[in-house]
Amino acid sequence: MADQAGTQNAAPSPRTAVVIGGNRIPFARAGGAYAYSSNRDMLIAALDGLVARFGLQGERIGEVAAGAVLKHSRDFNLTREAVLGSALSPATPAYDLQQACATGLETVVGLSNKIKLGQIESGIAGGVDSASDAPIAVSEGLRRALLDLSRAKTTQQKIRILSKLRPRDLSPNAPGTGEPRTGLSMGEHQAITTAAWQITREAQDDLAYRSHQNLAAAFERDFFSDLMTPYRGLTRDANLRADTSLEKLATLKPVFGTGLDTPATMTAGNSTPLTDGAAVVLLGSEEYARTNNLPMLANVVDAEAAAVDFVHGEEGLLMAPVHAMPRLLERNGLTFDDFDFFEIHEAFAGTVLSSIAAWEDEDYCTRVLGLDGALGSIDRSRLNVHGSSLATGHPFAATGGRIVASLGKTLSEQGGRGLISVCAAGGQGVVAILEARN
Amino acid sequence: MSGDAAGLVQLTDVPDLGGLYRRAIGLALRRRVTRRTVPPTLPDARHGVTGVRVDLADLTRFQQFLGSAVLDRVPSAYLHTIAFPVAMSVLARPDFPMPLLGLVHLRNEVHQDRQVGASELLDVVAWSEDLRPHAAGAQFDLVTEISVGGHRVWCGRSVYLARGIRLEPSHSRPAGEDRPAFVPPVRTGVWRLDAATGRHYAAVSGDWNPIHLSGPSARALGMKGAIAHGMYLAARMVDEAVPAPTGALSWRIDFATPVLLPGSVTTAFLAVPGGMDGGGLDGGGAAGPRTDVVGWDAKRRRPHFTGWVRAE
Repeated sequence: MADQAGTQNAAPSPRTAVVIGGNRIPFARAGGAYAYSSNRDMLIAALDGLVARFGLQGERIGEVAAGAVLKHSRDFNLTREAVLGSALSPATPAYDLQQACATGLETVVGLSNKIKLGQIESGIAGGVDSASDAPIAVSEGLRRALLDLSRAKTTQQKIRILSKLRPRDLSPNAPGTGEPRTGLSMGEHQAITTAAWQITREAQDDLAYRSHQNLAAAFERDFFSDLMTPYRGLTRDANLRADTSLEKLATLKPVFGTGLDTPATMTAGNSTPLTDGAAVVLLGSEEYARTNNLPMLANVVDAEAAAVDFVHGEEGLLMAPVHAMPRLLERNGLTFDDFDFFEIHEAFAGTVLSSIAAWEDEDYCTRVLGLDGALGSIDRSRLNVHGSSLATGHPFAATGGRIVASLGKTLSEQGGRGLISVCAAGGQGVVAILEARN
Repeated sequence: MSGDAAGLVQLTDVPDLGGLYRRAIGLALRRRVTRRTVPPTLPDARHGVTGVRVDLADLTRFQQFLGSAVLDRVPSAYLHTIAFPVAMSVLARPDFPMPLLGLVHLRNEVHQDRQVGASELLDVVAWSEDLRPHAAGAQFDLVTEISVGGHRVWCGRSVYLARGIRLEPSHSRPAGEDRPAFVPPVRTGVWRLDAATGRHYAAVSGDWNPIHLSGPSARALGMKGAIAHGMYLAARMVDEAVPAPTGALSWRIDFATPVLLPGSVTTAFLAVPGGMDGGGLDGGGAAGPRTDVVGWDAKRRRPHFTGWVRAE
């Protein structure tokens, strides 16, 4: 439990929710090994690996919560359909959740809360995304015409509707990464923030390099042996470049921020690629874990969501976790110094570095966050110690499950406290605290 | 059409814009043939229509095209669209001194006292006033008021420039203002407008001015190519600045260079915490926080428009 250091401001939890374990499939680059696997396929693969690891076949889990960001309309019940396709008991209920890239972490928060309240004893949280098998929609003109057509009663009405179609209506709409309200892609938004915080190309490349180094080292010592199940020929994250170097990263051309007045610094190397993958986490009450003789890696202590107004230029699109963090720390009576591991999702190297710079900036913290001074600094040697999204890739909704399982295992091995920060589209973000059990 | 002593011309219905444009073309040709000039004084006449209904299907198409939520609240810019033909009919009067086609739209300022529902019956009255010199000719205001049950709910003032029109010597002619060099702010978004934007907006607004429809029709009227409707830019600006107004709403847009289609408008929306005082039209006005907006051409570093929106 959150103990000596705090909890004076947080309402005491009636019970403890623990991370028992996790499982993911290796993440693939879009168009790669999972090009023909659907979200449902990959989620079932991740669930079945978890079932096998913890002997859950035929078991009725309290609830399964997962989601996907790029989702076909036919997958309205994606998680329930995946449960029905898995070895879990068909009596296991499930729900879908979508909070862009925070989806996975938010499922962990939601199910942990249900466990703490005694509503369920066990839960599986997670997410999946396929950028390869993305839904493609027909144009608005064709879609409206088809809907009108389905409501038309007479042949004349049908002819009138079809006669309104134009050749341009036949071109399809593929999903983009653009923000609906601004028309800018996520990378273009981050480029504005990166420039505003004067984050250098070298600092971003260095973060990317460390991410690959840390992930490669984690694979070398088999850190993921009980966190990952091979799938479709992959046993490691396909995006990992163990042999990359700062020199190689420095040769890449900038892809975002090229239209700004400041030098463009964001490249394919220090930005996450489009990725396919799935990750799930097994959560439970202490009693559930003990009764079933399951490990308890870490406690899920608390979480906080935030959102910012990026539409009117008040804040950067991916800066919401920066606002959530002081609220979470305050409620739990903690500071950065009380944490041993930091997991800041690497949507872009610039996102991580802008967040850290903001927390270290006294003027920003007082003026924008309403604090008495700078929130604090983060020890870089404790940041993303097993690699993060720049190296693993980032199948949007799967990232939260990856982080929670990896951090849970890290805490069970080394003790201490861990802090998670995940930014999301729409100017949102979720931060959470995990804590070792000893 | 019937007139009264106060100069109010009561129209039986909202006029058809296509007909007004045709009449304006005819008028321009006649004036060219007869070389008859109209003295540069604005007519006193006010044109009014009562009991105007909002067509829900038309409103839906407008909202969908602009990307606004399809709600029963009528967007501020759509109220302008509904009343626009009445205002245009003032400009199409035979005694109106400037040719309607060729007028340059400089600015719009709107004050709305409250939000208007789609089921309300609108009374519209429009007139022109304040003819005054401009560095490039003469400018005047076209004022439109919308009332419900005798209470004014919306008032808009559009400023138009008639190039090359010289006013009486008694009007002093202002020197051309030296515009400071345009420094683009940090962008917050981009509008990507395809070639059909003008035709689509014409279809949802009823404003089929040829300068918006196609390259050839725009070039015939002296444009470099088809350009976006000013009110299309204004409607997006207002909706994106304040997507869900609940009370009074004021806004203003100043047009700089036209937006050629297809094209991209880089935008900056900047919430100004305290807002500035005044700024409202005819006194009053929403007094809440203000959002400043700039739209510009990033390649040529030229502004398309600047504006602000303030909600109460």
